[in-house]
Amino acid sequence: MIIRKVWHRVVLAAVVIVVLGGGFALAVLAGAFEKSVVSAAVDTPLSPEEIAELAPKGRYIAAAADCVACHTAVGGAPWAGGRPFEMPVGTLYATNISPDPTYGIGSWTRADFHRAMRDGVAKGGRHLYPAMPYVSYRQMSEADVDAVWAYMLTREPMAVPDRQDSLPFPYVRQFMTFWNLLNLPGNVPAPDAQKSAEWNRGRYLVDALGHCGECHTPRDITMGMMPSRYLEGAVIEGVDAPDITPEGLARLGFAPDRLAGFMRSGMGPEGVMGFAMYDVVHHSTQYLTDDDAAAMAAYLAGEPAPAAPVVAAADLSPETAANGRRLYVAVCAGCHGIEGEGTPSMAPPMTTNAELRLPRPVNLLTVLADGIPWRDFPHGRLQDMPGFSDLLTDGEIADLSNYLRATWGGRAPDVSAADVAALRRARD
Amino acid sequence: MTLPTTPLSLVVNGRQVGPIDVPDNLMMVDFLHEYLNLTGSRLACGQGVCWACTVMLLDTDGAPPREIRTCITGAHFFAGKSVRTIEGHAERDADGNVTALSLVQQAFIEHFSFQCGYCTPGFVTGATVLIERLKREPVARADVESTIEAALAPHVCRCTGYVRYYEAVRSVILDTPGLVVG
Repeated sequence: MIIRKVWHRVVLAAVVIVVLGGGFALAVLAGAFEKSVVSAAVDTPLSPEEIAELAPKGRYIAAAADCVACHTAVGGAPWAGGRPFEMPVGTLYATNISPDPTYGIGSWTRADFHRAMRDGVAKGGRHLYPAMPYVSYRQMSEADVDAVWAYMLTREPMAVPDRQDSLPFPYVRQFMTFWNLLNLPGNVPAPDAQKSAEWNRGRYLVDALGHCGECHTPRDITMGMMPSRYLEGAVIEGVDAPDITPEGLARLGFAPDRLAGFMRSGMGPEGVMGFAMYDVVHHSTQYLTDDDAAAMAAYLAGEPAPAAPVVAAADLSPETAANGRRLYVAVCAGCHGIEGEGTPSMAPPMTTNAELRLPRPVNLLTVLADGIPWRDFPHGRLQDMPGFSDLLTDGEIADLSNYLRATWGGRAPDVSAADVAALRRARD
Repeated sequence: MTLPTTPLSLVVNGRQVGPIDVPDNLMMVDFLHEYLNLTGSRLACGQGVCWACTVMLLDTDGAPPREIRTCITGAHFFAGKSVRTIEGHAERDADGNVTALSLVQQAFIEHFSFQCGYCTPGFVTGATVLIERLKREPVARADVESTIEAALAPHVCRCTGYVRYYEAVRSVILDTPGLVVG
């Protein structure tokens, strides 16, 4: 009898746990734990006068938040969406945010727009995927969201339907409530009174508008940004988005006053903005005002900024040094200078190049293999750099990258021909 | 001041050259001009933009030749390799006199492709590299024009324009059996 009673209790406890757990799950799914940071103040529509007045500011805020990079496809209609995001389970497409009433957000309310930007919930309660960086935009002020809203309303409506995503389970959207429970902060951080106004403005530009952490902060197993490793660098599209903490930037050679200029011009003694950051300069950071660029740099570089470590050349074996030097003169020095000094308006110097100072060689190896296409930078067009994957052997690319990294980056010459071959296979 | 040098040996236009003591930091176009008196490869921009200075890098394993810019490539890169400069395209008799132009050279003359001629060595090199590639990998007729455009796009010409170069190369491709399929 006692055994039966115990058994009953175990079953009862299990039922209670299942019911409570299921109830909790259903509650999460229904959004019971979602917390909106949008105030009731935005329930009132903006007046036509307010819209006209706010739109110019909205243009600037939208540039600082780099909305266009995703919401205008290459060669596509302005603000009509369409940029693909290829993910392991399927492809997502950025949506039409022009004010078209049918295909865009023309039928949305001001509050709908605020909730999409800051809560990740679109009109009608449809959950957005976090490819839309609402985790970052959550920190935007209501005034700035209003400005962007006014700017979007004054754009030309584009009757372009959204592209259907190819995710296998369309009802996954609602499960974003679980993801948000784990990864969407409940509150917006208050300004840090210990720091300067410039630093706080910089944090806002970095975290809320620029959404830098979306690429530069590593993600955990749920694909949420890891607060404990804020801006420490992550792998994006096969290359390293560098560590842009104050220590990381100091190691790369960015002094605060230089960083502001680099964010706006995309080039400098530290090299050339590469990979996805070229697009960020092209669409966004080149348009920052002097004050905002300086604030962003001041925040990223740290207040006070750590002293820049002296980068001393690392040891090379005589064979690698000789072969690397021979290869450097053979295929690099014509543009980058015999002593790595670079050529103005043509090729950045090697002596102060941030890419050679990165902990991992993957970015350098990718550039050496593929080259860089010619690009429009704010101060002019920069010619292309050829790739060498079909001109040099894997061993030669290894020697060359070891020579470059050790001589000017202070990094140990640890690249092997096998590493180059593995990267070649991964890319083929 | 003496420049550090290293002995350099290579094959230029089918002829063994060297070993010659060549400064370690010398670019190939200067080596061709100053050491071999092969002045046909043009130095113009000096930064790899105009492609007037290109030579053919020949692969001994039968792979298609490649076009290399000599103004930004060190002379010692070519150690042990074989190159063809603009001087090596025409057929010559035992005394070095030209007896027949290459198909590409002849076509450029027939189409009045160049005026000042400064860019022409690069265009001859680029077009010849393209023809050699098509001998190994023919293209569909519909792709001939886009293939020419892609292959010669980097070459800069500042007087005659590009149309007559383009038409000359197209005529060579269409008139040479085996370069086009379908």
